[in-house]
Amino acid sequence: MEYIVETKNLTKSFGKEKAVSNLEMKIPKGEIYGFLGPNGAGKTTTIRMLLGLMRPTSGSVQLFGKDMKNNRIDILKNVGSLVENPSYYPHLTAKENLEASRKILHAPKERIDEVLKLVRLHGVRNKKVKGFSLGMKQRLGIAAAMLHQPELLILDEPTNGLDPSGIIEMRELIQSLPKEYGMTVLISSHLLSEIDQMATRVGVVTKGKMIFQDSIETMRKIAQASIQIKVNDNEAAWRSMLANGQKADLGEEHINLQVEDDEQVAASIDYLVQQGFSIYRVQEETRSLENIFLEMTKEEHAE
Amino acid sequence: MIFPLIQSDFLKIKRKGMWLLCLIGPFGVVALQMVNYGVRKDYLFEQMDDRWLYYLLNINTFTPLAIVLGIVILTSFMSSIEDETNAWKQLVALPVSKRSVYLSKFTVISCILFLSSVLLFLFVFGYGLTLGLGEDIPYLRLMEYSFLPFFAALPVLGLQLWVATISKNQAIPVTLGVIGVIFAYSAPLLPDWMIWKWPALSNDWGHAYINALLGIGFGVLLYLLGMVDFKRRDVK
Repeated sequence: MEYIVETKNLTKSFGKEKAVSNLEMKIPKGEIYGFLGPNGAGKTTTIRMLLGLMRPTSGSVQLFGKDMKNNRIDILKNVGSLVENPSYYPHLTAKENLEASRKILHAPKERIDEVLKLVRLHGVRNKKVKGFSLGMKQRLGIAAAMLHQPELLILDEPTNGLDPSGIIEMRELIQSLPKEYGMTVLISSHLLSEIDQMATRVGVVTKGKMIFQDSIETMRKIAQASIQIKVNDNEAAWRSMLANGQKADLGEEHINLQVEDDEQVAASIDYLVQQGFSIYRVQEETRSLENIFLEMTKEEHAE
Repeated sequence: MIFPLIQSDFLKIKRKGMWLLCLIGPFGVVALQMVNYGVRKDYLFEQMDDRWLYYLLNINTFTPLAIVLGIVILTSFMSSIEDETNAWKQLVALPVSKRSVYLSKFTVISCILFLSSVLLFLFVFGYGLTLGLGEDIPYLRLMEYSFLPFFAALPVLGLQLWVATISKNQAIPVTLGVIGVIFAYSAPLLPDWMIWKWPALSNDWGHAYINALLGIGFGVLLYLLGMVDFKRRDVK
């Protein structure tokens, strides 16, 4: 598989503290990669290393199959980024701000108007950025990141400070990028709900370690509902079901049934009734992605 | 490669009053002599047979001050433009080497200072003509006192730009700068090896161009040190 971003044993320490440790990130082409983790998990530090702003203490970063250490400028020609709070020059207008980057990126002049329209700032292009709201500044940052139509877009908490309609717009814009321009997007957030609606792949990081990395479907599968059954003798019922070839786990007060469809649930209950168990309760337990995320990050904290 | 960066840096100093500073500096230096000669022209004319030279020496008492002060303000402004919203991270994430980022800042400030020197030359020459200092206009000396202080001040520029770009708090380079201005003001009392003395163009050898050459040499050295250090640092 062709990876746009690949890090190997990526580690960054500040003094004794390891902000990122042995992180292995893999992002295939054309994906929207949701980089998820609680505050202070090392997301921004990782992103800074991906952009060559910080030097890894050990390990390597490869973008487009090239090593960051020796091909920084070459790589960055195809990367657009927005790191943490938006950076801008308050005394310049929106247009001048983009012009300052455009000159360095050698992008055609028309791109400025194009990206300004894309983030709906065209109406205020000649106003000084000083007077912009946080959401507008954030959008200007995204416009700057897209000036040169990069192959990889790295957005660190891009919906910070946006209002609900702004968030929806941003989401639609980001979702359209892989389809329309073949871009790969890395988007970090501490909110799972946000990632859930955009990402096709997820990486969960906590305390500088990657604890989950797979497609969003896999993550959803973990979240799938299970059926809990409570009978008069849970253990006996559980043994009996296993003997019958059904997948089940014994919980403290109930049996957890892993089933794929309703018919199976019916068949299992039918079987238990035939075996003479008294069924007290049958209930569905849904674990939200949020729960899984919390569980994943909690386990790490407990260590 | 470096030109787009320089163009971009010139765009960023728009509306920051740096061009005004470029004009005020040389004008201020000459304006002080306008007051001086306006008040006691006859007395000053009696001080030395070579009236032009005496006029240039008077000018040169304030040129080093103006240059050192100008450098402090310009370097601090320049890095505060990037510090303000931590635009360093956005700038360095563009496909540019950190070395050229630093070189571009150095170049832009040098250009402004050089333009100031050109203006100084024009103002000194222009006001000198109206004073009636004599027929023999010492063009060479005039050039020396206009342009050599700029070259002699390059080490100060190298040092200030270095400190300004790596300091999160601009109070540090400004404090250093104020000390530098005091040094420049008390140049006659300082030993020759101190870089703040050089723009005054006086030394034990009696040749002004030595200061300029030393300035270029140590200016390049301090510039390189600053650049290497800037490149080495992580961008927060």
